[in-house]
This record gives sequence, structure tokens and C-alpha cells, in this order.
Amino acid sequence: MTGAGGAPAGTRRRGHNPLGSEAKWGLMYALPALVVVVVFVVYPFASIVVHAFTRWNGFSDPTFIGLRNFEFLLRDNTFWAAFRNNVFFALSVPFQVAVPLLLAFLIQQRIPGWRFYRWTYFLPAIYSTIVLGVLTRLILQVDGPFNELLNGAGLGGLAREWLGDSSTALPAILIVFIWANFGYNVVIFLAGMSGIDPQLPEAARIDGANQRQVLRHVYIPGLRRVMEIVLVTSTINAFAYMFTYVFTITNGGPGFSTYVVEFDIYNTAFTAQRLGYACAMGLGLTLVILVLGFFQIRALTGGRE
Amino acid sequence: MNSTAVRPRPLRWAIVLGMTILGVSAVVPLLFMVQAAFRTQLDWAVAKIGLPTTLTLDAFGRAWVQASIGTYFINSVIVTIGAVALSVALASTAGFAFATLRWRGSRLVYFFILSWMAIPPLLLMVPIYVEMVDLRLVDTYLSVILLYSALNLPFNMYLMTAFFRAVPAELAEAARVDGASVHRIFGSILLPLSVPAIATLVIFNALYVWNEFVFALLLLHDDRVRTLTVGVNQLQGKFFFDYPALLAGMLITSLPMVVVYLVFQKFLVRAIAAGALK
Repeated sequence: MTGAGGAPAGTRRRGHNPLGSEAKWGLMYALPALVVVVVFVVYPFASIVVHAFTRWNGFSDPTFIGLRNFEFLLRDNTFWAAFRNNVFFALSVPFQVAVPLLLAFLIQQRIPGWRFYRWTYFLPAIYSTIVLGVLTRLILQVDGPFNELLNGAGLGGLAREWLGDSSTALPAILIVFIWANFGYNVVIFLAGMSGIDPQLPEAARIDGANQRQVLRHVYIPGLRRVMEIVLVTSTINAFAYMFTYVFTITNGGPGFSTYVVEFDIYNTAFTAQRLGYACAMGLGLTLVILVLGFFQIRALTGGRE
Repeated sequence: MNSTAVRPRPLRWAIVLGMTILGVSAVVPLLFMVQAAFRTQLDWAVAKIGLPTTLTLDAFGRAWVQASIGTYFINSVIVTIGAVALSVALASTAGFAFATLRWRGSRLVYFFILSWMAIPPLLLMVPIYVEMVDLRLVDTYLSVILLYSALNLPFNMYLMTAFFRAVPAELAEAARVDGASVHRIFGSILLPLSVPAIATLVIFNALYVWNEFVFALLLLHDDRVRTLTVGVNQLQGKFFFDYPALLAGMLITSLPMVVVYLVFQKFLVRAIAAGALK
């Protein structure tokens, strides 16, 4: 299932006199999928691009206002505060690549208990994000189980309103975010490792390489593509998959202090009814993600060959 | 000196301990929900963690009936089956068209669909909501069924195309020579062979659809069509003081996918690997 790099077989044997019915039915078989993707993915994206340059409240017709949304965006303090929080979450990405890689390596080396780790580490990815978010909020409430535990352990002095202050609320969201995703990355790395010829690490060990050298000189070069994917998807997660965590754990508060861009888009569109501006924010964030993804791939592959 | 041989044992056990704690932490949400869901409200007020002093199923009853978790559960089942069936069906026909059939524009359409694989769907929430209002689909199962299918389609199509391409071309060729129609090649030869690939996609898509929250929040306002994730969010407001019922509702939300993971782990891991190793 992994050898799918090439192009479809569509034009491979042109001289073979393709059956007339195949030429006709090819498009018919692909058409339903194409229509659904165009209507519910491509059209919304095009709509964002168009409406980013308009003032639009969703009821009356949008009016074209040129670049004014983007001028406003540059001076929008809420947006930049939200963006800063996304950057804060994204700073954990190197950690989100390195730790799962190490964990996968240890599981691959059959460290005691490896079956238990392999089974449990994926569970956080099975739980719905909303369940994790509601649980977090509930556990960290003032009279919640976490403070109860602290009191019980004689550490009552540490008990506080964890989500009432951005200096503890933001790290709380970060920890849940990292914890919810690490197992997924471990599974990806394990899959990548199973694709590496087992004779390579074996040969390195016979040559006297220790575990760290095997990881560094055999596995990491062999996993370059996989690391690239984990790096890019983790970054996209930090910028574009934070909504549910914020919505359930802090609802953006206290004040605007735990806003993320998606949350700002949601409120701008559905509370403030400024749909054109929300589209401009969406377009801006999409561009940021594209640029970051591009540079990450460049950074990982560039200068290697 | 070879450091594998002299690796300090305390370090090794510290790593094992850390990894074990991490593994246990992954089970903690389940354990926490279970122990809380069996408490009475009074019992919860006294202690929130540990073995409950009372063992009652009342919280499940309150969640299932009064908080409509029963209705939400059925809605989630309908939406999940609908969205997964539609997406996998469309991905299969499209994959067949791209991998097996020979027609002009095949490459172009294939890469066009594929190029939408990485777009973060949440950034599209504004136009998607407006479009659903225009199509009068808000508050219908169909809204989320169509949307989830579309969002998963590029990946599903990619996987089905890869799968069909790995089937020896001689099979379809022999059928062509025998004069089999296009539909026969698809229905009687390729589709039966693709059961493992379809199973992989079904499990992977079901996990996404069952757990999706934001679009369900945006598109399903009526209690009669709400899914479990939105229901849990509702429950928070409705049952502000009845935590055992809230946690019972969240347990009901979580258990089906945990069971799916236990039973079909192999398929899930296969889907993730296929996605990551492309």
C-alpha cells in the first residue's frame, strides 16, 4: 500500500486501443468523488479567497473593500494575541517530534513493557477531543479532583484556580495538546521503523555501534520522510486544530488570554457577524501554514543530498 | 568502550518507569470516568477520585434519558455510518477509475482531488456554514454526512487508488479480453479483492466522524439531530451540578471507539502508516 508514488495508469498504454466504454466510464466513475470534493472543499476555499476582500455580514450582499480587511488585521490586537498563543503551542513541535521518535525507538528495541506502551500510547488519540477538554476543565476546577489530590497530599498550598490565570491555563492546554497527540506520532514512527531493513541496525551493532549511534546513524536518516510528515502535521495541529481544546478548557478566557486564531475566526464570524473579516483571517492563517510547511520540508531535505 | 554493555541500570529503569507512567496516564481518563459514573451526586461531593462508596447505575440512566444521550447516540451512529459509507463508496469508484480504467484527464483529476488532502478544514468553517444555510441543510444529518465524506475523500481516494494499482493488471486485462464490462471488472473482480483496504478506511474514517465536534456544533442545533460530541457539550450546561451523569455521558461517548480500537487495532495502525509513508 505504500508504493503509490507514481502517476495513475490512465495514459499508460495509449496504443492498445482503449475500449470506447472505458474512456466514457472512467470519468463517470471518478465524477461523484470529484463533485463532492468540489462542492464541499474547493468551493468553500474559493469562497474564502473571494470574501476575504469584502465586508459581509452573511445576510446582505458582500461589498468589495479591497485590502481593507488585511490592513485592519495588521492592527488587530486580539488577532495577534491569538496568533502568539498559536506560536506558543507551535514551539512545542520539536519536542513533539523528538520524544515520540525516542519512545518509538525504545518500543522497537523491545524495552520491558513494550507491548503495554504500544497499546496504551495510542489511546489518547482514540478519545474525542471534546471529552479530553471537558475532563481537563472539570479536573482543574477550583473544587475539582486535582486540587483535592493536592490537599490530600498535604500540598494544599499549591492548589489554585488553574484555569483562572493565563500563566497556568495556557500551559494546561499545551500539556493536554501534547499528550493527546504523542501516541499518534509514536505509531507513525513505529510504522516507519518497520520499513527499515533490519539488517542495517544489525550490521551497525556488529560494527560496535551503541544504541545511541544506531538511532542517530541508522534510524534517523532512514526516517527522514516520516520526520518531515510528523513535523509538518504537528505544526499544522498547533495552528489549525486547537479550537476544541480552547473552546472546552477555557473558552478563550480569562479575558482573551487563551484565544487561538481559529477561536477568533469563530467568534468574529458567528458572534460579531463579520464574515468577510473572518474569511481574511482564515486566508491569512492558511498562507502562514503553507509557508511554514514549505520551509520545514526545505529545512529537513535541503542540504542533505 | 561499548556503552550498550555498561548502560547504567538505574537510567534504564527510570526510562521504564517514565514510559509506564505515560502508559497509565493514557488509561486514566477511562478509569476516572468509570469511577465517577458509578457515584451518586452526594458521593461525588464528598470525594471525586478513588473507589466509589456507592455503586449505582443511576447516573447512566439520567444521562441516557434526561440528558438525551440515548438520542445523541443514535444520531452519532446514523451520521457515522452514512458518512463512512458514502466516502468509502465514492473513494472506491474513483480509485478504480484512476488505477484501472484508461481515460483522458485521469492524471489531472487524480492530482486535483489529491491536492486538497492537507487543507485544515476548520479554516473553512465560515463559507461551509453559509453554504449549508443556502442549501437548507443545517440541522439535517445530510449536512455533516456530506461534509465529513468530502473532507475524508482525498485521503480515501488516495488509498484506494494505491490499492487498486497494486492489483496485478493481468486480472483486469484478462477480463477485458473475455469481454467483461467495466462494471463487471469493478464489481466482481476488484471490489471483492479490496475488502482489507475498505476495512482499513472504514475504521479510520469512523474514528474521525464519531469524534468530530466543531462542524457538528456549527451545523446541528436541533436536539433531534445532535451527535454525541455536541451532546456532551450541551450536557455541561444542562447538568452543571450532576457530574456523575456528565461523566457517564462522556463514558458512553468514548467507549464505542475504545472498543473499535481494541478489536480493529491492526486496521487503524495500517491506515496511519499508509498515510504517513506515502
